[in-house]
Amino acid sequence: MKVITTKGVVKIYNPDKIPVKALNGVDLEITEGEFTAIVGPSGSGKTTLLNVIGGLDRPDEGDVEVGGHDIDAMSDNQLIDFRKEHIGFVFQAYNLIPVLTARENVEFVMLLQNRPKKERRERAEELLRAVGLEDKMDKRPSELSGGQQQRVAVARALAPKPDFILADEPTANLDSKSTANLLDIMARLNEEEKITFVFSTHDQRVIDRARRVVTLVDGKVATDEVREGKV
Amino acid sequence: MIPIMAWRNIWRSMTRSLVVMGAIAVGIWAALSLTGFATGMVKSYVNNAVQNIVSHIQVHQPEFLDENEVKYNIPDLMAVEQAVRAEPGVRAVSVRSVANGMISSSQGARGVAIKGVEPEEEARVNALNENIVDGEYFSGDSRNPILVSDELAQKLNVKVRSKVVLNFQDRGGSITAAAFRIVGIFDTGNNPFDLSHVFVRRSDLNHLLIPAADSTQSADALAHEIAIMVDDIRNVDTIASSLRAELPGLKVQTYRQISPDLQLYEGQIKNISLIYLTVIMLALVFGIINTMLMAVLERIKELGMLMAIGMNKLKVFLMIVLESVMLGLVAMPVGLILGYITIDYVGENGIDMSMYAEGLENFGMSSIIYFELDPVVYGQVAVGVFLTAVLASIYPALKAIRLKPVEALRTI
Repeated sequence: MKVITTKGVVKIYNPDKIPVKALNGVDLEITEGEFTAIVGPSGSGKTTLLNVIGGLDRPDEGDVEVGGHDIDAMSDNQLIDFRKEHIGFVFQAYNLIPVLTARENVEFVMLLQNRPKKERRERAEELLRAVGLEDKMDKRPSELSGGQQQRVAVARALAPKPDFILADEPTANLDSKSTANLLDIMARLNEEEKITFVFSTHDQRVIDRARRVVTLVDGKVATDEVREGKV
Repeated sequence: MIPIMAWRNIWRSMTRSLVVMGAIAVGIWAALSLTGFATGMVKSYVNNAVQNIVSHIQVHQPEFLDENEVKYNIPDLMAVEQAVRAEPGVRAVSVRSVANGMISSSQGARGVAIKGVEPEEEARVNALNENIVDGEYFSGDSRNPILVSDELAQKLNVKVRSKVVLNFQDRGGSITAAAFRIVGIFDTGNNPFDLSHVFVRRSDLNHLLIPAADSTQSADALAHEIAIMVDDIRNVDTIASSLRAELPGLKVQTYRQISPDLQLYEGQIKNISLIYLTVIMLALVFGIINTMLMAVLERIKELGMLMAIGMNKLKVFLMIVLESVMLGLVAMPVGLILGYITIDYVGENGIDMSMYAEGLENFGMSSIIYFELDPVVYGQVAVGVFLTAVLASIYPALKAIRLKPVEALRTI
């Protein structure tokens, strides 16, 4: 089942001054259960594409459909609600809520979904166990290493049971061991739970594990390679 | 969890939060103390005026108030006096004869109101006997004793035992004059009153007011004014109404009617507290806006992330408002308690304003001010601070919700 479809997506920054075409007609389809890396040199449009797919930014041209919804037609508030229910985000800089513990960070999105307290707590603990942080649940982000914070971020992204997870350079700030650890966790979740992951990355370690590698050059899909047996 | 986040957020920059909380607490303390001070001053003015000058209630013949002539005395004095004394809630009564005339010494002369009083009764109604600064309150044996104020004594260049002459019209319309000897000098603390009033014994004054040819008026039954003190000032209006019903031909006035300025000042107390509160809260608004704005601006990326993962604008807005309200709510009890302690302490011990005593006394206030505060003001201040905190958070909160998540996430 298709979870993401983009057709002729164009995104232009600075349209009035010095226009920069960050995306220049991107056609892409992501189906359920993929483990896809969007790669390309700096400035190729990876993050912009992720932002557009994630409903954080709007395309200037083209269509973006996520889970069968035309997200371009949504208002800002509708988009916020849509993201909350359908999309999990993992950011490069972890971006956890610094004043909340790991458990509270994971619970937070479920709270925004008005899930019952018991369910929130149980799911947060289950997810933190799944990312190997059962002994760090009551630690705040400042008390965790970068790798641990990113694992909390993955648990948080999974908490609302999204259609897919968008991860923008999730390993950029991690050492090799943490990267391998995080990738193992995400790969397992993809294998066992059929969770769809879409990364933007230029980290070879991530690219090596991806089942599909979409290469962007100058805002266009240059190559789209499906590799059997990876992950 | 949003209240928990808001609460923890305010402690992220502890020094900054403590500074703004300190400002709020000091603001509350200042608003309460200033209101307490102003209320104390007004009450001091009103109490001084009531105690030394107007008393709580006065009874006159209506024409006396208009014409100020000695012939308009209270008719059927005995019955009136009895009715007044029998009125429940009346604490003390002083029956006075009043004549307007002139006091003169070898050095000068001034127009004065001459009050003929029963010394013991008068002492129960006003604090005249306690305000004697030289000499003594009416001594029993001297003839035609008179009390003058120290202000007047200076103007006339007289002192205790000096002789002065009073000139005034008697009931027959003739000018009469008599020599009085100063037995005591008083100081009520109210200069305008002190300069214009002298006190003599009622029997001495009545003797001079009734011409020899007038056999219809007995000296005992001549009086123009009955001054009344009640047990509880809050019952003044009820007692005055009851007396009005009992004494139909006479004019019964409360201190507010006798001295409308007292009513005006009493009425101003509420406005004073609101004015102080408004000014101080306005100053606080800017302090809180500054703090909250900094709190928003240094968290742009985090706010962008919150909106990215699905926290809607209303919740972001409420979180910022809540942080501001929490700053106010933490500081509020501190300010209220500090204010309460100050008002309680100064209410008990007073604040010595004697370096400005002369100025204060010119306005009829005492030199020691005791703070006083209507408990309602604490509530007003609490509501004021709450509203200020909400008001001050609106701009920073709007700033937060106008952020575009994608741009906010890009900030460092």
